[in-house]
Formats: sequence, structure tokens, C-alpha cells
Amino acid sequence: MTALGALAWGWAGRGYALRWAVLPPVVGVAMFALLVGAVLAAPREVVEGEVQRIFYIHVPSAIAAYLAFGITFLASAVLLWRRDMRWDAVARSSAMVGVLFTGFTLTTGMIWGKPIWGVWWTWDARLTSTLILFLLYAGYLLARQLADETDEQAARFAAVFAIVAFIDIPIINMSVRWWRTLHPQPIVFDPFGEQALPGSMLLVLAIGMVAIGALALWLIVLRAEAEGLTQRAIGLRQGIDRREAR
Amino acid sequence: MRAALAVMEKDLRLAWRDRAGWLTAVSFAAISVLIYSFALDLAAREVRPLLPGLLWVTFLFAGIVSSGASFQTEGERGTLDAQLLAPVARTALYAGKLLANLLALLVVEVATLGLATILFDESLLTLELGGIVLLGTVGYVSLVTVLATLGSRVRARAVLMPVLALPLLVPLLIAAVRATGGALGEPTGDAPWLLLLAVFAVWAAAGSALLFPLAVER
Repeated sequence: MTALGALAWGWAGRGYALRWAVLPPVVGVAMFALLVGAVLAAPREVVEGEVQRIFYIHVPSAIAAYLAFGITFLASAVLLWRRDMRWDAVARSSAMVGVLFTGFTLTTGMIWGKPIWGVWWTWDARLTSTLILFLLYAGYLLARQLADETDEQAARFAAVFAIVAFIDIPIINMSVRWWRTLHPQPIVFDPFGEQALPGSMLLVLAIGMVAIGALALWLIVLRAEAEGLTQRAIGLRQGIDRREAR
Repeated sequence: MRAALAVMEKDLRLAWRDRAGWLTAVSFAAISVLIYSFALDLAAREVRPLLPGLLWVTFLFAGIVSSGASFQTEGERGTLDAQLLAPVARTALYAGKLLANLLALLVVEVATLGLATILFDESLLTLELGGIVLLGTVGYVSLVTVLATLGSRVRARAVLMPVLALPLLVPLLIAAVRATGGALGEPTGDAPWLLLLAVFAVWAAAGSALLFPLAVER
């Protein structure tokens, strides 16, 4: 079991070492393919028209945001367990990227909603819970930002909040669903329903997932390493100050 | 258990001695009810559909204001660190804080319900409503008590508390408002609001009891 764990850890480490070689080209190529696919290759939707093409960034953005918040949750749990401030940098960075993509999801949704539903915003369950998600993690970022980067107490508090928030998400979704509903039901992953989405649309959507997923991952890695460097710089400066004081 | 009761007794005694803080919460609740009456013109229209929302928003804000206060003074005096050094389980410490906050808030809430009964001529001091209010209060006080540990080094703490707490409490607010509406004879849809309220209270209490020791650890 330990050998297997060490092997997995080794593989993860080797994969992480390749991040700068893999992520930027993947994002570049997939983004280009996504643009070509969404704008030119995908068929025009009969009812909604050209506006439907926003779907190819809207859905992947939402999924990328959920993934980022998942990473925040895991990193927060590891921070509380291991007491290693590098995990705080990871949690904070992925929360930031998650908030960015949640904002992107909300904006693209509104741009789509205006011509199709006739309004920018309605109090539909899915919309409302996405907005609450945005507010939750914006609050998390605020709370963490108002304390120092190296403040372990604040980092622990933020981690506890991130865990509470993540567990609260399904309860929020359920309560809001009971409260209202109108968003198009997901037709892509429904295993029992008939395949409603034509293959070419599905392909473009898959490319979108890769492009935006890789972009989110790249941003998280960049941000987390920058945060890690900031923490180290602060630590070094404190060390110098202490030596000079002596 | 004895440690929890001791912490509760200490907090309640402090609250009793420093009546200003506690009376602030009561007057805040009373003023809110008045302000809503002016803002929504409750004198001229039917009150009953609006009453549950008005009451719960008042409860939530009063709760967030008053639950933060006990940790604030502890932080200023450094007494929280002393309590953390005591050889008792952190969960007991949490339970004591929670019970003290819960009792203080229930007093505020009963006072608010009494005031609203007089002002709006609705009988609000019933057993059913009492149960709903108790269940909802257990849910939000457990979460708010953990959030109130937010280190004193964090600036703008008083503003940050509602920003952090309210999005988490959306399910509780929806369920509590609908359940209260149901108790007042309003149509509330067919969702099991009381069950949702109970589920939230259980998860909030259990989750907070588990996470509190991690949040205060130094």
C-alpha cells in the first residue's frame, strides 16, 4: 500500500514538473480549436440561433469553477491536517480562479438570457445558487485578504470557512431548487434520456472543457506559485530583520 | 459537560453584568421591526405574507451582531487564550459558547415576537412557532459561533461577519421563512421545510463542533 502510494506520489511529482511544458501549449491549441469550433464548425442552433454558441464557454466555465472550489476544499483540509502554509496558497489561488470563472459563468449566462428569456436575470434555482456560490467564495477571499499572507491563524480560519462553504453547497442547491426553477435542464450527461445534443456540438463542448479546464489549472498553478514565493519572501525578510536586530 | 456549563455560566454572567451589549441586541431587533414597518408600509397593507421574512431577517442580523460580541471582548482581554490552555476539550468550550449565545438570542427573539404580536395583532407566541424559531436558531447560532472566532488580527471584522455568514445561511433563511409562513397559515408550496430546517440545524451543529477546535488552534 505504501509502495503504491509512493509510486502515485512519484507520478504526481513527475507530472507536476512538466506543468510549464504541458499547460501553456494545451491551453493555446485547445482555445484556438474552441474558437474555431464554437464560431465556425458547430451547427447553428435552430431555435436559439447564434446566441446558443455561448454555451460552449458557459458550461465549461461553470464546471471549471466547481473544480477550482473542489481544489480549495481539498487544499483547506490538507492545510488543517498538515499545517503547511503552502496549502493555504493553493486554497487561496484556486478560490480566486473559481470566483473568476463563476463570474464568467454568470456574465455569459446573462448575455444568453437577455435574448432567449428576455431578461438578464431571473430567480431560477440554478442561477440563484451560482450567485450564492460567487458571494460565498468572494467572502472567503475577502476574509483571507484582510490578514497577512503568513498569518497562520487567519489561514486556519479561512480553511474552516472553505470547508463549511463547500459542504453547504448541496444544501443551498436543494433549498433554492425547492424555492424556484427555470434553467434549461442538463441534457448532455443524462444517461437515460435520448441523446439530445448532436455529435458535432458535443465535440465542441468537449474541446471547450479541455481548453477552459486547462486554462483554470494553469491560472491556479501560476497563482499558487506566486503566493508561495510571496510567503517565502516575507519569511526571508523577517529572518533578515531578526538578524539585524541582534 | 461540566466545563461547557461553566463556560456558559461565565458568558451569561458577563452578558448580565454588561447589560449594555445585550440590551443593544434587543433594541436593535425592536428598531428593525419598526424600520420594516415604515419601509414596507405595514400599517396600510396585509402584514401576514411579509411577517415571516421580516422576523427572520431581524433574528439573523441580531444574532450575527450579538454572537460576535463575546469573542470580541475575549480577544481584547486575551481570555480566549487562557481558556484554550485549560485542560478541557475544545468541543466543551464550543458547547458552552454555543449555549450562552443560544440562550441570549432566544430571549431577544421571544421579545421580538412579543413586540410583533402587539404591533401587528397576530398571535406569534405559539408552541409551533416557538419550535420553528428554536430549530432555526440552533442552526444559525452554531455556524455563527464558529465564524465569530475570526481572528482579531483580521481588519473590518464587524462588516465581514455578515458577508461570510449570510450566504451560508441562505438555506436556513428560506426554510425558516417558509415554515413560519406555514405556521401562520400562508401557502408555502409542498416542500418539507421543517425537515430542511432540522437537517440544517443538525449539520450546522455537528460540523461546527468538529471544526471549532481546528479554527481556534494556535
